[in-house]
Amino acid sequence: MSVLSRREIQVRLRKKPDDERGLIITPLLCGEEPFDADSVDLRLGCYFLLPKVLRTPFFCPDEKSATCLHDRVHVPLGRYLVVPAHQTILGATLEFIKLPCDVSGEILTKSSVARTFIVVETAPWIHPRYRGCLTLEIANVSNTPVLLYPGRLIGQLILLDVSRHPTELPKLSHKYFGPVYPEGPKFVSPADDLLKIGVHPTTILQQVPVEPELGVRKRVAPDGCRKP
Amino acid sequence: MQDGIDGLLHDAACLHGLVDFVQQYCTEQLVSQSYLDATGDFFGYIDELARGTKQFLSDSTASASRSRQRIEAVRADLLVVKDYWRILHAFIKPASDAHTLRIPCSLIRLAVRQVGRVSGMHDAKVAILLTPELMYFQTPHTHLKDLAAKLNKVIPEAAFPPKLGFVELPYSQGPGFFNNLILYHELGHFTFEELCSSNLFDSGFATLDAAIIDSLQNNVADFSTRSRQAQWLAWELLRSWTQEIFADLFALRLIGPAFSFAFIELLGLLGLLRDGREMIFSESHPAQACRFGEQVLQLRDDRWWDAVQDVRAEHLELITDVAGRSPDDYKLDPDLFDQDPGLILAFRGILPAIRKLVRSITKGAAAGVGEFHKYKAHVRKCLMQGIVPSTPLDRKVPTPTAIINAAFCFYLTSLPQLMERLEDQKPSDIERRSYWTQRLEMWTLKAVEDCEVVARCQGELA
Repeated sequence: MSVLSRREIQVRLRKKPDDERGLIITPLLCGEEPFDADSVDLRLGCYFLLPKVLRTPFFCPDEKSATCLHDRVHVPLGRYLVVPAHQTILGATLEFIKLPCDVSGEILTKSSVARTFIVVETAPWIHPRYRGCLTLEIANVSNTPVLLYPGRLIGQLILLDVSRHPTELPKLSHKYFGPVYPEGPKFVSPADDLLKIGVHPTTILQQVPVEPELGVRKRVAPDGCRKP
Repeated sequence: MQDGIDGLLHDAACLHGLVDFVQQYCTEQLVSQSYLDATGDFFGYIDELARGTKQFLSDSTASASRSRQRIEAVRADLLVVKDYWRILHAFIKPASDAHTLRIPCSLIRLAVRQVGRVSGMHDAKVAILLTPELMYFQTPHTHLKDLAAKLNKVIPEAAFPPKLGFVELPYSQGPGFFNNLILYHELGHFTFEELCSSNLFDSGFATLDAAIIDSLQNNVADFSTRSRQAQWLAWELLRSWTQEIFADLFALRLIGPAFSFAFIELLGLLGLLRDGREMIFSESHPAQACRFGEQVLQLRDDRWWDAVQDVRAEHLELITDVAGRSPDDYKLDPDLFDQDPGLILAFRGILPAIRKLVRSITKGAAAGVGEFHKYKAHVRKCLMQGIVPSTPLDRKVPTPTAIINAAFCFYLTSLPQLMERLEDQKPSDIERRSYWTQRLEMWTLKAVEDCEVVARCQGELA
């Protein structure tokens, strides 16, 4: 596995959209500026998912996670978003990316951004044939709020060659296919997940009764009747 | 109701409460959401007007307290102010609902930029409102502007933003793309109203008005001997139909056949494509057969019709079929106040004048079919791969109108093929089909947004 050089990246970018070995990064602004010797700089997009204040005392990663955990926010170009200290938000790249069938990608925080104690990505790996704007986990690990401006450079994409022949390609997976906004996680229910490895959910999951409106535990008397 | 100064103070305090609430409401919305510039301008105007109104209430009641003879005069002014706020009240909530997460911003900005290229419409702005109706509207604004001008004499601090129009989108269609192309038709209404009330294109619109009168005189047997009111009603009817055809042709000139496809989609969604209805002229709209007939004529003239002939979709067949009906079979709605068949003949007589006017004012704003030919196959390839169609071809980004038309053609013909390329996505599964339609709309919207970003980066946009 080797890192693609600037020249190799540009050769891949010139291929047609339906060429499985072709790379697409769009829009690529400012001519040659985004290209480094072995990477391409990516910009921050205009849409964000901010963590919601939940009405429940915990968050369960299940099939509702994609919609219940975040509030969507749009910050047009020219404006900014304040990321409070010690908060993590989800953003996306401005660029839409299609990786070739024989190239993996890794997104890293741009070093200048990292020096402001903004950390992008804790799950930076991108599989071959991925297409979409990349969802970025953006954490402010500093003690002060930081401003994020959509349209500014935020990360760098490193591309790595993997040996694979286009004739071996299966159908494309539809999970996370072609997003243009940051997307929440897509889980199946923990019960279904665990059943696959033979674990019956009731043996590991204690169902906590919750008052949905208040987000507090119900007080249940030992005989099952409510206390007066 | 109290009389004298107490009554006046009570009235003023009630209005102050209303104005204060609306002002705070607008400020809160602007802080918590992003809006298009036009909506921002509108809310800015509301803020200035609220401050001016509060000042007026304070000053005028103070002067009435000092001199009781002023009470009646202040009451009269207060009525003008109240009336205006009552009308504005209806605009504010739908405008605040239309923040940038709920509307297709890049499409709206593109459409407004295109309208800005129409002669006499430079600097036009459009605030979007979200309506509970499953229908698109342009809110006539001449009356609002007249009232604003009247109010300006009482509250000079606030001036209504010039060339500001209002278009309403159904709230359910807000973030979508293809159906929202109908907004080009509404922008046609806005342009018609704006240019009619300005002097710039007065001659063109005056010619049209004269053509309506001539045609009525030539085709409605007793027109000259009718009462003034009956003549005026007939003229109003033809003018409504004229404005509809104008708005259709205007939309087609700016965005091409994608407008006709969107129109069919909307009629289908509303269940309005029923046998027999397409031949009927109602009080507000000409028959769909007539509208599609005019659309096909214009698409032919602009060479778009040939460009989409290979689109194997029901929409095109439907347009051809409806447009091909004989004009002799057009009918008036039986509920219409005037049942003279000469009205339809008179209207048919002015169609050439409408075509000519639309063509002349949209000279610098028309969508080019050449770009569509150039990028159609490329856009299709991109979408088939699940890639945004703003991807450059030979280092050039396709134009937004080429992307929109090619993406609509793809949507009508190739969505099942896209789904078949993906794991476990059956085109017969309605839920999945709807999901991929939304994805396709997102890619198209993102592509239009990319075009804007690239144009701005290259200095083509301010």
